[in-house]
Amino acid sequence: MKRLMTSKGLFGGTTLAVLAILVLLPLVLPSATLATEIVIFAMAALACNLLLGYGGLLSFGQGLFFGAGSYLSALAMIHGGVGLVTALVIAIVAGALIATFVGMLSIRRTGIYFVMLTLAFSQTGYFLAYTLSKWTGGDNGLLDVPRPGLSLFGVDLVDLKGAHAYYVFVALIFMAVYVGARRVIDSPFGSTLVAIRENESRASAVGFDTRHFKMLAFTLSGAVTALAGALYGMLINYVPLDNIAMAMSENIVIMTVIGGTGSLLGSLLGAGTLVLMGEILSSIWPRWPLLLGVLLILIVVFLRGGVWGGVESLIGRMTRKDEA
Amino acid sequence: MPPLRPNSGCGMLNLYLFQILNGLGLGMIYFLISVGLTIIFGLLNFVNFAHGGFFMLGCYLCYALLQLTGQFWLTLLLGPLIVAALAWVMEKTLIRRIYHLPHTFHILVTVGVALILQESAIIVWGPIGKSIPIPEALQGVVIMGKFAYPKYRLFLILFSAAIGFILWLLLERTRFGALVRAGSESTEMVSLLGTNIYKLFSLTFALGVGLAGLAGVLSGPIRGAQPFMGPEVLGIAFVVVVIGGMGSFLGALVGGLLIGLVQSLMTTIWPEGASLMIYGAMAAVILLRPYGLFGRA
Repeated sequence: MKRLMTSKGLFGGTTLAVLAILVLLPLVLPSATLATEIVIFAMAALACNLLLGYGGLLSFGQGLFFGAGSYLSALAMIHGGVGLVTALVIAIVAGALIATFVGMLSIRRTGIYFVMLTLAFSQTGYFLAYTLSKWTGGDNGLLDVPRPGLSLFGVDLVDLKGAHAYYVFVALIFMAVYVGARRVIDSPFGSTLVAIRENESRASAVGFDTRHFKMLAFTLSGAVTALAGALYGMLINYVPLDNIAMAMSENIVIMTVIGGTGSLLGSLLGAGTLVLMGEILSSIWPRWPLLLGVLLILIVVFLRGGVWGGVESLIGRMTRKDEA
Repeated sequence: MPPLRPNSGCGMLNLYLFQILNGLGLGMIYFLISVGLTIIFGLLNFVNFAHGGFFMLGCYLCYALLQLTGQFWLTLLLGPLIVAALAWVMEKTLIRRIYHLPHTFHILVTVGVALILQESAIIVWGPIGKSIPIPEALQGVVIMGKFAYPKYRLFLILFSAAIGFILWLLLERTRFGALVRAGSESTEMVSLLGTNIYKLFSLTFALGVGLAGLAGVLSGPIRGAQPFMGPEVLGIAFVVVVIGGMGSFLGALVGGLLIGLVQSLMTTIWPEGASLMIYGAMAAVILLRPYGLFGRA
């Protein structure tokens, strides 16, 4: 209950903070491309957080949706000649459909079985992409992914070739997704998800069809992750096989947890931390994932609330000092 | 499948027999990996995402120890023991601190360990894989009538079957095994009855991880050692456990053999799709039996 109260109380504050971060990112960072990357991964982490932080479902297969979104939108643009909006809609619908399929087979299993099933299904996607190399390029990845401009009903509105223009476009989508997710969490649906996280059998005894709620959350998460995947393909004009590999699922989970689960702002912080860490450290030392491994262990042993949890408790400590 | 004719069919038959034997060998490797994962989960209620990483370490130890000593039998003994010792130390210093936390944190920590193992392997042995020669004593083929089969692969099947049998004896016929099985039912009760449960946890963790290391050492001469093999192996171990049912010795055996056979037979029919079919088989089993072949609801 207390948790709900704080998240409600912070509602206006966190939304403003997200907005501020989105505005500051391209100004502070050396390139708009890097800022775009952070925002795209923040979207994927947010979708994962919706499941983990609110529904208590740890999906280790988010890479499947991310990769499927990149591949399918890219293929639709290359072979079908579709525009930006259609490509993104294709990714969203595909992500939702794949998530529905995976969810049907795995959502009735709880806890660690769910984690293992989602991981195994994401591996299916990986080997599918690897096997269908005629379409996906296999190990070499899918090259020459276009980034069409925004057009509606045949009228070209905005050209997105420039890094800054594309950043603004992605940031606007992120803001829309963020506000949408916020609304979902504050709705009765969101409260039910939290109830399921806290005690599934009790939620079910009260009369909620918990499987149905979890399925909905999973589908939503798949759709948003696939959207992020599609935007990423357009950002780097390329879909590497890594987009659908286990490492992608792993990274999305790491960003979510580093940022702090149960806080949507945390996802942005988590994505920023991991992307920047990779950007800075990989140029200094290619074996930087070793440090990431150490960091993960330290976070679990010493800082379990994630970055945002750490900031929150720091704020809490400071205000308590003021009162005293 | 075309009907088998005496002349042309004999070659086909031999090909299938060859692939079935390959599948058994592969399946036994998968069994060794998965049974370790299952034993750890059963007693400790802990999921080890670094399991694939320890398999990889086993492969590299096979390479390094062979280079160092030149003796395969010594490598086969020392490799798994080193992996198990490392796991034992890790359980004492790190894993023990996080048992009480939710699964998410177990996963994060062991993902961290897997990353450390992978990157350390690259630092020590380089980013490009190493091929490992087949030990001299096991080179060549065994000839059975018209059929020839590589000696090392036959050894692999027999040796891992023997290990499986010893493991079964250990779990079903010894005091240690009885404690592990009792602990899987109720850790608290075993602890109340006066067993040092922490000692049992350390030993079980070392045993389970050591089995992954053994599987790595054994498969080294066949598939070599690559730094990025961990995630793939972890994925397969999960598939086996999902098919067989978590916490089941028999499930790990049947699931492992099934997956090994599917992968190996598919190699002759559709080589590119062999890995994909593993996951197809898993989806089929999940559709028919959501809790796995030997799993409890």
